[in-house]
Amino acid sequence: MSYLEIRDLQKRYTKNGPLIVDHINVSIEKGEFIVFLGPSGCGKTTTIRMISGLEEVTGGDILVDGQSIIHKLPRDRGVSMIFQSYAIWPHMTVYDNIAYPLKLQKVPKKEIDERVREAARATEIEQLLKRYPAQMSGGQRQRVAVSRAIVVKPKLFLMDEPLSNLDAKLRVTMRTELKRIHTEQGSTSIFVTHDQSEAMSIADRIMIMYKGNIEQVGTPMEVYQDSATRFVAEFIGTPPTNFLDAKIEQEEGFLWAAGDGFRYRVPQRLASAVEPYAGREIDLGIRPEFMDVSPDMTRTDAYLCDLHVDFVEPQGSHAILITRIGSKEIKVHTVEHMNLTPGADVSCNIRKDMVMFFDKETGKRVR
Amino acid sequence: MVNRLNPIQKASVAIILTGMLLIVAIPLMCFVTVSFSNATEMSQFPKNLFPSGTVSVLVAPEENNRYTVYYDYHDGNGWTSIITLSDAKKLERHFTRQYAVTVPGEQLLKDFAATRETGEPRVFTYRKDTFYNFTQFFKIVPNAASGLKNSIIVSLLTILISLTLGSLAGYALARYNFKGKQQLNVGLLIVRMFPTVGISIPMAVLLIRMGLFDSLIGLAILYSIPNIALTSWITSSIFIGINKELEEASLVFGGNSVQTFLRITLPMAFPAMAASSMYAFTTAWNDTISALILTQKNQTLSLVVYKAIGTTSSGIQYAAAGSIILILPALVFTFIIRKYIGQMWGGVSM
Amino acid sequence: MNEKKRLISKNATPYILLAPVFLYYAVFWLYPVLAGVREVFIDMNGRFSLTANFKMMAESALFTESVVNTATFAALSVLLQYFFALLLSILLARKFRGAKLLMFIAMIPMAITPTATAIIWKTGLVKDGWINSLLMYLGLIKKQIVYMNVEGMDAVLLLVLIDTWTVTPSVMVILIAGLQGLQVEMKEAAYTFGANKLQILKDITLPILRPSITTSIIMRMIAALQVWSIAVMVLGYSKAPFLVERVAFYKDAIPGVDTSSKLAFTYSFMTTIVVLAATVIYLRVSNRGKKAAERSEA
Repeated sequence: MSYLEIRDLQKRYTKNGPLIVDHINVSIEKGEFIVFLGPSGCGKTTTIRMISGLEEVTGGDILVDGQSIIHKLPRDRGVSMIFQSYAIWPHMTVYDNIAYPLKLQKVPKKEIDERVREAARATEIEQLLKRYPAQMSGGQRQRVAVSRAIVVKPKLFLMDEPLSNLDAKLRVTMRTELKRIHTEQGSTSIFVTHDQSEAMSIADRIMIMYKGNIEQVGTPMEVYQDSATRFVAEFIGTPPTNFLDAKIEQEEGFLWAAGDGFRYRVPQRLASAVEPYAGREIDLGIRPEFMDVSPDMTRTDAYLCDLHVDFVEPQGSHAILITRIGSKEIKVHTVEHMNLTPGADVSCNIRKDMVMFFDKETGKRVR
Repeated sequence: MVNRLNPIQKASVAIILTGMLLIVAIPLMCFVTVSFSNATEMSQFPKNLFPSGTVSVLVAPEENNRYTVYYDYHDGNGWTSIITLSDAKKLERHFTRQYAVTVPGEQLLKDFAATRETGEPRVFTYRKDTFYNFTQFFKIVPNAASGLKNSIIVSLLTILISLTLGSLAGYALARYNFKGKQQLNVGLLIVRMFPTVGISIPMAVLLIRMGLFDSLIGLAILYSIPNIALTSWITSSIFIGINKELEEASLVFGGNSVQTFLRITLPMAFPAMAASSMYAFTTAWNDTISALILTQKNQTLSLVVYKAIGTTSSGIQYAAAGSIILILPALVFTFIIRKYIGQMWGGVSM
Repeated sequence: MNEKKRLISKNATPYILLAPVFLYYAVFWLYPVLAGVREVFIDMNGRFSLTANFKMMAESALFTESVVNTATFAALSVLLQYFFALLLSILLARKFRGAKLLMFIAMIPMAITPTATAIIWKTGLVKDGWINSLLMYLGLIKKQIVYMNVEGMDAVLLLVLIDTWTVTPSVMVILIAGLQGLQVEMKEAAYTFGANKLQILKDITLPILRPSITTSIIMRMIAALQVWSIAVMVLGYSKAPFLVERVAFYKDAIPGVDTSSKLAFTYSFMTTIVVLAATVIYLRVSNRGKKAAERSEA
């Protein structure tokens, strides 16, 4: 049974203006930690603001536990929000900041005290309760924002890029903290970010948005290995997916994807999906991690082409090889052949046929 | 967050807005009207609330080639007879002095001759000389022209002194950490807030001793006192904002400190300089009391106008015209900085 | 590199840059201030006396009135201005067409020199001025009202009104700027937790704006304590005495009298003390109030 359901949600700011959120549908389960991921302007922040009640809904509906919430005030929706800038009130102590939501609900003083301390314990800021925000670091302020958000024991925990203002190291520590608090509190959380590695590391599911539309909703593995659109394949993964322009040919009873500098036999399991594209152009996407290189020039059934290594970027645990196929720059991720030097020639086979084909016009995955 | 108003609230906001605008605008408009009024309009009651560009008189032909001029004071008595004349020169003077109409006497006589055709009085409408009051201001009010010149000179001197010393101090405060920096900041704040009246009188004595009493430079020195502190405050914030690396790049590429300051830092600090100049200008331009204390013959424009008000309540329209000149720079300045008010007074942000 | 910046720089450059400013202020500020102070403690006969000049000032004509008037004027005008300005700014702090133009018009009265303000109101307040003309056009009066013979506290009140007209719109603009400059997310956060508009104003907006409001109140108060030119230009000398008005009186109206110079010095010294004292007291009170409020909430 889905807990939060978004039905055909739309948002536009001016009467005849563009749709910032363009008819999106998604169901979120109770206790789930879902990440809204996408570049700036994709509509993820607008969506979360509509869920919180800060923006009006132009069309569609949002339901929690089966009940529509779009006409309710934020405090009646059972949501709690963490803002990108934290929005910690500078004139109040940490204690007062956390206590304020409870004060608004007219909770008795003694209970406020208990709950504030409990929330502060959860983020380990009990010693800071008497301090003012100006006397604290960014990371500490962020924890205050988190405590304040959980003290009301919300049904829904909304986070709008809460880690963007922290330095890299702190960002990594804090994202695990947030996940832990989410699990301890047993809440349902929506986390907005533009950082795909961040999303991949903490999400139960990721919802990728682009230009107001949902590109894909799936687990990190799903969006990584089974990308639904070209955008998703390009957005997820570092280094990003390599793309080649290919033409589908039929020869010797097999389908081939051929292009500038390569000829690849389409795997059996994709044959029926790719066949309609015979004689036409198609996008071929292959992740750097799935390109196996052989200095001894072995060619398997999954042979792509020969590569001439231009540069090598050693990363310690792996190496990135910079090379070309035709006129396109290609990056290869290798673990076994980290000692290759620039100028080496290798053959390239696609591992386990983990190739993805995308329709050139719609960008949708061909499967 | 929804911030829309229902129709009732919208209407009340509109009413309050209009009310406020009227309260501000009406006195200003009346003032402008006064500064364009001629002597006759000034003796009228009720007064016109809007400036008028023309004057209408009724002229009746009399014997001996004379004409009687009538004016309608709008006081319920209709056309009231003002004067009877035949002489061209006297007519011209009357029309100029009373109505700000600068038509030559011969032309007036020619126009009035038309009444003799029918023997009936006729209404004549003439354009007022728009700038009559302004020219009169410079003619009648003592020291008016020199006052304007002096005000400009003093203001420019003040800008020069304040900007030079102030930006040096601002740069030092922004770029260097030195002993006594905190105290200096407090000191500058005190100087900036210090009531001018507390310094003006002793300053007069000092200037007399230096031989600078009743001089423009003396005034500029006084006006610069709070403005140097203000300029250093404004420029130090801007200099802090200007990335130090831009200056370092210039040094790396071979410029020395002076060149760097002149070619890189100063141009980027231009907005702050402009703002400081405008404050300095306004202080010097608008001040009356210090000028009162520190000068006798070399008066500034605001002092001239101040004295003009005290002397008469007839002829006040000339003083009003003079004060229009006085307020023009302030209007321009306000127009320019209204965008930046937000930056200066915005709430504390974290 | 960062450590190096934190050390106090032994470099002589800052001192060289600041030398002209130091010199300037030593000669043209410190010296006159000290000389002025010294002058106040030397009596008419050239001898040192702690109280002689103050006695003379206290006994001079209209001394009490000038003190009372100055205090009343400052208190009333600041109160009125901020009350109205705050009210208006809360109502009007929203985006609407022509807002920029409105702000510009609102700032005009305060931008123009007091001399011009005086002319505006003098030409209005005379028997046949535009105030009566306007009232007559609107049919509100049949006979001219005489304003210019006001005396005593009535005169002060009249001047308070004129000052309010001049200052309130500008203060309103400043407050609106503050209200709008406030980070939206501060208010939104309170809104998501259930605060209504009034609570957001009381608990979030106003407290955050407090420092700016306090600063502008201090500056207005300092200006109000030094009122003089409006009084003199509209009503004339000695009709509505104020501290600085007395200074101008002794310097401008009767400079020839032998006690005038001393009195002018003493009055201006007193004004300076009053202004500094008022600033300090206000800061203390507002800080204490702030601390008390915080303690009650903790």
